[in-house]
Amino acid sequence: MAVLISSTRSRSIKNSLAKWLITFGGISVLFTLVLIFLYLLYVVKPIFESAKIESKVNISLQLKANEKILATGVDELQELVYEITDAGNIDFYHLKASDPQAKTQFAVGEHSFSAYLLAGDDFKQERVVSIANSFTANKLLHTASGKTLLVQPSFYAEYSNDIRKIIPQVNYPLGQGSLVIDEQQIPLSQLAFAMDDEQIVFVAFTDDKRLIKTNFIADDEFGSSSNGDDVEYETNYQLIDYPVDVVDEIKVTPDLSLAFVRSGSTVRVYSLTDEEEVSLKATITPTLNDNTYLTAMALLSGSSSVLLGDSSGRVSQWFEVATDSGRQFKQIRAFTTGNSDTNNSNANDDSKNKTSKAIDAIYTEQFRKSFYTMTTSGMVNVFYTTSSAHLWQGQLTSSQPAAFAIAPRANGLIIIGNDPLDANKRILQTFSVHNEHPEVTWQALWQEVWYEGYPEPDYIWQSSSGSDDFEAKFSLVPISFGTIKAALYAMLFAVPVALSAAIYTAYFMTPSLRKKVKPTIEMMEALPTVILGFLAGLWLAPLMEEYLPAIFLLFILLPLATVLTAFSWHKLPNKIKDKLPESLAPILLIPVIMLTTYVAFALSPQLEAILFNGDMRQFLTNDLGINFDQRNALVVGIAMGFAVIPTIFTMAEDAIFSVPGHLTNGSLALGATQWQTLVGVVLLTASPGIFSAVMMGLGRAVGETMIVLMATGNTPILDWSIFQGMRTLAANIAVEMPEAEVGSSHYRILFLAAFVLFIFTFIFNTAAEFVRQRLREKYSSM
Amino acid sequence: MISISPKALATGSEPLIKTPLDLNNLSPEQVALDINKLNLYYGKKQALNNITMSIPKGQVTAFIGPSGCGKSTLLRCINRMNDLVDDCHISGEINLHGNNIYNKHVDVAELRRKVGMVFQRPNPFPKTIYENVVYGLRIMGENNRRRLDEAAEQSLRSAALWNEVKDRLHESALGLSGGQQQRLVIARAIAIQPEVLLLDEPTSALDPISTLVIEELINDLKKQFTVVIVTHNMQQAARVSDQTAFMYMGDLIEYSDTNTLFTTPLKKKTEDYITGRYG
Repeated sequence: MAVLISSTRSRSIKNSLAKWLITFGGISVLFTLVLIFLYLLYVVKPIFESAKIESKVNISLQLKANEKILATGVDELQELVYEITDAGNIDFYHLKASDPQAKTQFAVGEHSFSAYLLAGDDFKQERVVSIANSFTANKLLHTASGKTLLVQPSFYAEYSNDIRKIIPQVNYPLGQGSLVIDEQQIPLSQLAFAMDDEQIVFVAFTDDKRLIKTNFIADDEFGSSSNGDDVEYETNYQLIDYPVDVVDEIKVTPDLSLAFVRSGSTVRVYSLTDEEEVSLKATITPTLNDNTYLTAMALLSGSSSVLLGDSSGRVSQWFEVATDSGRQFKQIRAFTTGNSDTNNSNANDDSKNKTSKAIDAIYTEQFRKSFYTMTTSGMVNVFYTTSSAHLWQGQLTSSQPAAFAIAPRANGLIIIGNDPLDANKRILQTFSVHNEHPEVTWQALWQEVWYEGYPEPDYIWQSSSGSDDFEAKFSLVPISFGTIKAALYAMLFAVPVALSAAIYTAYFMTPSLRKKVKPTIEMMEALPTVILGFLAGLWLAPLMEEYLPAIFLLFILLPLATVLTAFSWHKLPNKIKDKLPESLAPILLIPVIMLTTYVAFALSPQLEAILFNGDMRQFLTNDLGINFDQRNALVVGIAMGFAVIPTIFTMAEDAIFSVPGHLTNGSLALGATQWQTLVGVVLLTASPGIFSAVMMGLGRAVGETMIVLMATGNTPILDWSIFQGMRTLAANIAVEMPEAEVGSSHYRILFLAAFVLFIFTFIFNTAAEFVRQRLREKYSSM
Repeated sequence: MISISPKALATGSEPLIKTPLDLNNLSPEQVALDINKLNLYYGKKQALNNITMSIPKGQVTAFIGPSGCGKSTLLRCINRMNDLVDDCHISGEINLHGNNIYNKHVDVAELRRKVGMVFQRPNPFPKTIYENVVYGLRIMGENNRRRLDEAAEQSLRSAALWNEVKDRLHESALGLSGGQQQRLVIARAIAIQPEVLLLDEPTSALDPISTLVIEELINDLKKQFTVVIVTHNMQQAARVSDQTAFMYMGDLIEYSDTNTLFTTPLKKKTEDYITGRYG
């Protein structure tokens, strides 16, 4: 009795232990899957979040009577802010309290440093009337008497006791003397400039109605000394032939190539590259509604697009597009603010001036394609051009601000407005901007987008480039397409081969041979795909390029030779056949296949000479107009086909082999031939298994990485051609993940690509399982 | 579901009254199959030893014997199903219409059309009831819808299944009960009008009521076909067959009309078997 009890007890312990272990294992598998899914979503989520603008610091500025603030700016880390007044003063204020351990202590809003900019002998207590900005921090101050000064407020970091301190500084790149922009030294009503290390280009409109271009060409390099006293340069003055007496706005592109001059609702574009003559390149006349006129103009980062804002609050984007009659400026897209847009909670509740929607100014970010519009009533809208996204709308100040600046990293705003209580006071407000991924919208990912410089909207994946102001092109369409294309070409090759092999092995092969063949093919599955990948990329692709006709010949000759061999075996006199072992028949095929392959390759050069004028590649490209990539869908189809064949073969073979003998016997007993039994009963009964096998193969082909990485050429193009490459989701992730900056849009989009891949395989597997269940209900054997 | 007529019960329990044939001296017209010195080996092991017997036309012949005696093997020789078994060698002859079916030039598929077979387990194909019945005709190339319909109805009637399935001909055959499936398989076998119908323990996987229905059916079938049945159930052999062959260890021990074999067996082994000393 005791023995019995103890054995029952140990058995029940084992039972419950096994139960818990299995449950734990199952749950942890599920949990891990869910975790992966959630992590992908967690990384992807921020790209679909809308922009947020939050108020940070308010500083009250005391001004002298009649002093006006003309410009403002901030350092990269947003620790110091400055403003420039028309009296020529620059004042820096702290935006961040000092480190408690630092020697000098200061609080937020505390004054840091001041300078008088017009200290040079040329300026005698003059007043600044306008300040022109370049894309960099350089400011061009212009006085009422027509004197001009180039100023560069700058910041550098100093470390004492391991504490970083940002030190403000004012540089005069061309010295503190006045610059001669107009030969006749007449005051300028409009002034714009752009500069690089070698040149400064000024385009200005004088009070006596002349449009002029002035060019400073450095002997050495601009900006080599901070006070600029010893900078020497040549000056080149040009008069631009301008038909109108009024100029409202001038912009010069940072690459110094174009000037946009706006007079009313017409924008004239001048090419500045010729040192002899400034030529009119184009005239932009936007079609506007009645009583609407242009009110603002801005250049988008990257210097190819110009933004035009009008009195109805609409902004249009224009850039040059190649057309039949040369490159022309075209309106690409327009941005309007919907009437019922969400009013952000940060917006001030002053709504009495909301009626005016006219654009007062457009501010563009330095590196991205985002821009801010300010209406005359102080309403701010944030847009992103590439994704056509309206990111934010709200009222940040009660009225038009005196100065507006975007932080260099585009994560903050500085707005200086009037103090409603004190006419001699101004309020400097800083805002933090959370707008990490404005370029990503559903539309930009999956729909055609008109990128700068492209002749028409297109699906493009181009995640990086050499320049900072590059317009990233994140369309997931070409790489999703590439995934499907690679998988389909692989299946086109693998399914017929794998299924024929499975049918033959399971149904016709002698058991002794099957015992050898099946494990051999299953071993192929263990072959690392990286080996298949580099064989495909480095050996097969060049070989196919050289012997292209042979490859196509093989597709015809191999089946033909196989059928012929089988037929002649069948016709062999019984006397001979009886002496040979049955299993010899398939082995006999091996030399036949080798011989056929040799013949195809040997014939290839002759065939090429006769049919394709000596070079099939050239023939395809020149005569048929088919582009040929060395690493193309054909290579991938064959290489990935080989990777997929064992998967499909093994499962399909099992399915066919496990069709119960009594069903085949039943069919044979009715006088059906082997072939009739195969088609009528065996394949039908095995269909759920065969279907799963094919879907498993497809799932594997979709997720396969190494082969497509090495043999596709990784060209993200939308083209079904068998002679063109592709880029797949998996290969794209493998290629770009190492170079994507963590947390950037690019990084998150790669996670999104992984998520899409996940969804792809999920859909394939679910569909496969669903169909398989249905088939099994219908055709299951008993 | 399955209706059993009182007649079925009556005939099932009563021995049949008929004039026994002289099995050793059948006239050629009376013979359906003539087995002559048949030996069969699985590899080196001999499974049938020198079997010689004649199976009369239009009658039910039963093979009985203990498990492994070779009765199923012998049955499978008649339509060459043993060809599918590896390492199986056969010597001797089986003559159908005076032609040896083991002759090299015989088309096995054609032979199997003439000699149909029903297996121990019901094996309908995963198709509709209708497609199961006309399967044999379709593989013979018959595609005329009207003729297929006719054949299907006739076969299902012959197999006593028509009334049960006529409303659901186009539903899956796998939805039928075991007994119905077995009758469907019989209908499928007789749809191609074979001469001989081989039944390999057709009721061993069925419940008693289905068994009864099949047994009644066998009685009807012999009007059209020569039936050879293998059974391990002696009562069944006694109920349905006209002739019975008792086999033991690959030998044909005794072969005579059923009444004689069960009432006055000539051999000691036969008597031992039918009285239940082994088996």
